[in-house]
Amino acid sequence: MSDDSTPLSIEVTDVTVAYTNGNVALRDTTFSLHSGTVCALVGVNGSGKSTLFKVIMGFLKPAKGTVSIGGRPVKEAQKRNLVAYVPQSEEVDWTFPVSVWDVVMMGRYGSMNFLRIPREEDRRIVKESLERVGMSEFKDRQIGELSGGQKKRVFLARALAQRGRIMLLDEPFTGVDVKTETAIIDLLEELREDGHIILVSTHNLGSVPEFCDRVVLVNRTVLASGPTAQIFTEENLAKAFGGVLRHFKFDHTDLPGSARNEVLLLSDDERPLLLGHDGAPKRSGVGTKTGPLVEDSRK
Amino acid sequence: MMDSLLVPFQYEYMVKAILLSGLIGAVCAFLSCFITLKGWSLMGDALSHAIVPGVAVASIFGLPFSLGAFVAGLLAAVGMGWVKHRSRLREDAVIGVVFTTWFALGVLLLSVFPSSINLRTIVFGNILGISDQDIVQVVCIAGLSLGVLLVKWRDLLVYCFDASHARSLGMNTTFLHFLLLALLSATAVAAMQTVGAVLVVAMLVTPGATAYLLTDRFGRMIILATGMGLFCGIAGAYASYFLDGSTGGCIVVLQTCLFLIALVLAPKHGLLAARARRREARAVAGALAPSMPKGPQPPSSSLSA
Repeated sequence: MSDDSTPLSIEVTDVTVAYTNGNVALRDTTFSLHSGTVCALVGVNGSGKSTLFKVIMGFLKPAKGTVSIGGRPVKEAQKRNLVAYVPQSEEVDWTFPVSVWDVVMMGRYGSMNFLRIPREEDRRIVKESLERVGMSEFKDRQIGELSGGQKKRVFLARALAQRGRIMLLDEPFTGVDVKTETAIIDLLEELREDGHIILVSTHNLGSVPEFCDRVVLVNRTVLASGPTAQIFTEENLAKAFGGVLRHFKFDHTDLPGSARNEVLLLSDDERPLLLGHDGAPKRSGVGTKTGPLVEDSRK
Repeated sequence: MMDSLLVPFQYEYMVKAILLSGLIGAVCAFLSCFITLKGWSLMGDALSHAIVPGVAVASIFGLPFSLGAFVAGLLAAVGMGWVKHRSRLREDAVIGVVFTTWFALGVLLLSVFPSSINLRTIVFGNILGISDQDIVQVVCIAGLSLGVLLVKWRDLLVYCFDASHARSLGMNTTFLHFLLLALLSATAVAAMQTVGAVLVVAMLVTPGATAYLLTDRFGRMIILATGMGLFCGIAGAYASYFLDGSTGGCIVVLQTCLFLIALVLAPKHGLLAARARRREARAVAGALAPSMPKGPQPPSSSLSA
């Protein structure tokens, strides 16, 4: 089971994916990731983020191009339990009669014999994984009886228990409290230190520079990929989001004539709440053409 | 009194019917846990009707009914999958179209080519008149299905819960999908002999649905459902002797009674428990805000004050 010796990588080369109804979800997509990275997959809804996940997981066969994991085909990577997946909360049936413990134990099934009877080691790993995400005390809860953040952490624990060295997280911050968000980010950083590859699809732009060292921007193909500082530019984001992004410019210039001190705020769908120095909410300008405090420079 | 209760056991055909109903009830109930959680109840209904033309064709060519029925069931399932994949129709519409077509074909074949088997037997079952040859077939099918379920239930559970995860574990989800379909067809064939094609779906849904109301753990759900299937099969067949009524009807009515009891009285998910919880929530809300006046309030000026 130990694959620690093989160098870890994801290579997506020239991949085109078409659905049976003829829609092309991704065209000529190319990017690669190497050991020890947290990479954000950023794009609007319908830009092909989920499709890209499905291709990497081997659920969809590309019409053209190849995906290889650690230099091997996806199928082989699956057999070796290399790739773990943390689903979006909406994809999970929360009324299913399984406990937190049961779900995390499902992460171990890949390394059990065909009757899937847990050994002592499996129990130990499940226990450890639960401790690592701080969910030990909830192990006997039915999964529907958890908060949004707790639900997320259970599935993270399942991925940990699976011991996949590549982890795909689909919108991990949706419906999650700030505490859990910080906990998830801390955990991902630990995993990066251990040499894992973490691919996170997100539309939470603000958090990306905080914990992702790389970014892949998608819109039906890979628009740009590379280190966050190089890729996360206004120009690239405008390409990825088209006119969908909200732009808010704050002018902090103190005196007329002094150096310009502007801050630009970008947000894909939510409007930020702005409070003036008197503590009162500012309606002016947010989302409208012009205003005294904020100007919308939507392009 | 005691003697009259034991009367059914004096007849060999009753003993056979009781044991066979219990076995089939248990296997169907085991499978029903997966069917209800996967959302395949309608699929179960469809397959149980779709096996009819298979029986018709088998009787025309003198083949074993079970084989014909099983093949017809699988063909219908594959047909539904194909139409759904290729068209923009929703799944329920596809199921509706395909299974009624199949059933109609069966009815037509049986009426055009009169054979030893009659439509009534297929549609309503005839466990009391079952031949020894059919008993062997049914026992084999049920035993095999039970064996597969006992070995593979954890894989099927992961597949039903999160197919993507199952795949990431290296499980062959296409195989598991067809395994579940095959089990559904096989048990439908076995249950057809007991309760008839029309009532098969009850055997394949009700025990699982009842157990789901009673527990939050899958293992316990399987045990509860299977126990209930076994009990209802045995008790239903036994009771049918005294009522002089349809065995299938007795079994399914008994299952429904247990379902209704669970629906009302289940400790956590029952209607009474839900009502108690609502009441408690109201009481807590009332205790937290004792000064809040009841009923709609006039527009208050306190906000602007």
